[in-house]
Amino acid sequence: MTIFLQATVEGLSLAAIYSLVAIGFVLIYKSMDVLSFAQPALAVVGAGLISSLAVDRGVPFWVALFIGISLTGVLGLIVERTFLRPMVGEPVFSVAILTIGIDILLRTTLDNWIGLNPRYMGDPFPSFGNFGSAQIGGVTIKYLEIAALATAIFIIIALNVFFRKSKYGVAMRATSFDQEAALAQGINVGRIFGLVWFIAGILAAFAGFFITGGFNTLSQTSFVVALRALPAVVIGGLDSIPGAVVGSIIIGLTQGYVAYYQYDFEILTGITLGNGFSLLAPYIIMFFILVVKPDGLYGTKEVERV
Amino acid sequence: MKSRPNLYTNYDKETAIFSNNTQKFWFAVLFVLSVSLCFVATDYWILLISRSLTFSIGAWGINIVSGLAGQITLAHGSFIGIGVYTAAVLGGVASNSVWGYELDMLIWLPAAGIVAALFSLILAPLAVRLKGLNLALVTLAFLFICSHIFSNFISVTGGAGIGRKVAKLVLFGINLEEGLVFGNFLLEKNQIQYLICLFLCIVMGFGFKNIVRSRAGRAYAGIRDGDIAAEALGVNLFRYKASAFALASFYAGVGGAMASTISGGVEPGLFNLLFSILAVAIIVIGGAGTVLGPLFGAFFYIMAPGFIQYILKITHLTESALPLNLGQIEAMLFGLCIILFLIFEPRGLWGIWFRLRNYFKAWPFSY
Repeated sequence: MTIFLQATVEGLSLAAIYSLVAIGFVLIYKSMDVLSFAQPALAVVGAGLISSLAVDRGVPFWVALFIGISLTGVLGLIVERTFLRPMVGEPVFSVAILTIGIDILLRTTLDNWIGLNPRYMGDPFPSFGNFGSAQIGGVTIKYLEIAALATAIFIIIALNVFFRKSKYGVAMRATSFDQEAALAQGINVGRIFGLVWFIAGILAAFAGFFITGGFNTLSQTSFVVALRALPAVVIGGLDSIPGAVVGSIIIGLTQGYVAYYQYDFEILTGITLGNGFSLLAPYIIMFFILVVKPDGLYGTKEVERV
Repeated sequence: MKSRPNLYTNYDKETAIFSNNTQKFWFAVLFVLSVSLCFVATDYWILLISRSLTFSIGAWGINIVSGLAGQITLAHGSFIGIGVYTAAVLGGVASNSVWGYELDMLIWLPAAGIVAALFSLILAPLAVRLKGLNLALVTLAFLFICSHIFSNFISVTGGAGIGRKVAKLVLFGINLEEGLVFGNFLLEKNQIQYLICLFLCIVMGFGFKNIVRSRAGRAYAGIRDGDIAAEALGVNLFRYKASAFALASFYAGVGGAMASTISGGVEPGLFNLLFSILAVAIIVIGGAGTVLGPLFGAFFYIMAPGFIQYILKITHLTESALPLNLGQIEAMLFGLCIILFLIFEPRGLWGIWFRLRNYFKAWPFSY
C-alpha cells in the first residue's frame, strides 16, 4: 500500500509538470493550428535562465525565478514574431517542421552553455537541504513535488479565470473559434498570437523549473521529460485544455505505477520489458489511443470538407 | 524537331527518364566524372561522398512517403535502423553477445530492404485510418517503441551504449575488406565501397524516377493533393498508402545497410528522434517531392560539415578557438537552414537550382 501511495504521489507531481507543458501545446494549437515541437526547448531554456541567474550571477532565488520565467515568455514572443508570423496560412506540417528547427537552435545554444556538468537551480530554503522532503505514513513526499502540484493547480485556475473574465482571454477564445470573424470584430489577432506564445513560454518555464529543480538538475537530456507532455496532449485531444490536464494525469500516473511495479510484473509473468520502460509507456498509450480515437478523449472531431 | 527540345509529340517522350539529349549528355558527363573521382580524390572526400550517396538513398525513401504521397512520417529513422540491424545480423560476424551469419552482400543488402518494408506494413492499417498530424504522432510513438527495442534487444543490436560491428563487404564470395588486386594495381576498400554506393545510388535514383512517372506515382500525387478526391476517382487508398510506406522503408533499409558499412559500427542510440527529424529535414532542405531534391539535401547535410572542417584545417583554426564545437555548429547551421528554407524557399535547394537553370536557359533575356 505504501508503494502504491508513493507511486501515486510521484505520478501526480509528474502529471502537474506535464500539464503545464501540455496546456502550452494546446493554447498554441487552438489559436494558431500549430503543433509546436519547440515547447520542450522553451522549458529547458527557462530552467537554464533561472540557473544562470540564481547560481552563476548570485541573484536571490525568487528574483531569479521571476526574471527567468518572464524572459522565457518574452523568448516565446520573439520566436512567434520572427519565425512563425511569416508562416501564417502555410500547411500545418511545414510549420511543425519549422518549430523543430527552432527547437534545434534553442537547444544547441543551451547545450553549449550547459557543457558536460549538470546545472543546479539554486535553493530558496537552504535549511531544508535541496528543497527537502517530508515523511507521511511511510510515504516520502518532496516539497518540490508539492510545489509543482500547487503551482499547476493555481495556474490552471488562474488561466480559467483569465479566459472567462478578462478582455484578452475572451479575445483569445474568439480567435481560436474563428480567426477571420475575430479580425472582423476588431480583435488584433497578431497580438493574440504573441500573447499565446508568451503564456506558453511562461508555462514551459515553470515546467522546466520543476523538471530540473532539486536533485534532478539540468542536463543536455532534460528536454526529453518535457517532450513526454506530447502524448498527454494527444491522449486528451489536441484542442482541449481539460483534455490536456486529464491526459497529463493519465500519463503521469502510468509512468509512476510502471516505474514501481515493472519489476514485480516481470517476476510474475517472466516477460522482460527492458530498462526505462516507464519512459516508453506514455508513448504506447498514445499509440493505442490514436488507433481507437484519433481525435483524443476530449478533442473535437475534425470535420472535413471535400 | 532537333532545335525544339521542349516540343513533345507523344506521351512516351514527355514521361521519358531523360526528356532531351542535353540531360543525357550531362548525366553521362557526371557519371564519368564520379567514377573517375574515386581514383583522384583523397580518402577523406571519398568517404564523405559515399556517405552522401547512401544518405540520398534513404532520403529518396522518405521522399516517396512524404514528398510524393504527402503522408508525414517521423519513423523513417527506425526503418533505417531495422535495415541496418537486419544487414548486421545476416552479414556481420557473431560474437559472444551478438548474432551474425556472415552471408554474402547479395543476400543481406536486399534482405535489409525487404525486412524493413515488412515491418512498415505494421503501420499501414494506421496510415489509412489517420492523416496529417495524427499520423505523424503515431509514427512518433512507433519511433520511441522501436528505439526502446533497439536498446534492449542485445543479441541483435549489442545494447545501448555498446553497439556492434556491422555487415562485412563480401560480394560473390570475394572478401572486399582488404581491397582487390588487378595485376599490379590495388583497388582499396574505400574505393570499392564508393563504387558500390555510386552504383546503388544510380539504380535507386532511376527507381525513384520510375515510381514518379508510373501509375503508382500518379496515385501518390493524387493522395497528396486530396485523398478523398483520389478515392472518389478510384485510387485504392489502402493499397497505395501501404505501398508508399513499404517502398519508403525498402529504400531506408538499403540505404541504411550500405551507410552502416562505411561507419563500421552502430550504436542503438543513433536511431533516436533526431535521426528521423534529420531525414525529414534533408528532404525539406533538398526539395520535397522532386527527384534531385533528396540528392541535393543529402550532399548538403554531409558535405557542409566536411567543408567546415576543411576550412578550419586550411585556416589553422583550432576547435577551442570557436564559441561552439563542431557538432554544435553543424546543428545550428542545420536548424537555421530548416527555418530559412521553409520561410523563403519551400522548394528547397532544388527550387534554387530550378530558378538558376531557367535563368541561364533564357539568358540574356528574362524569359
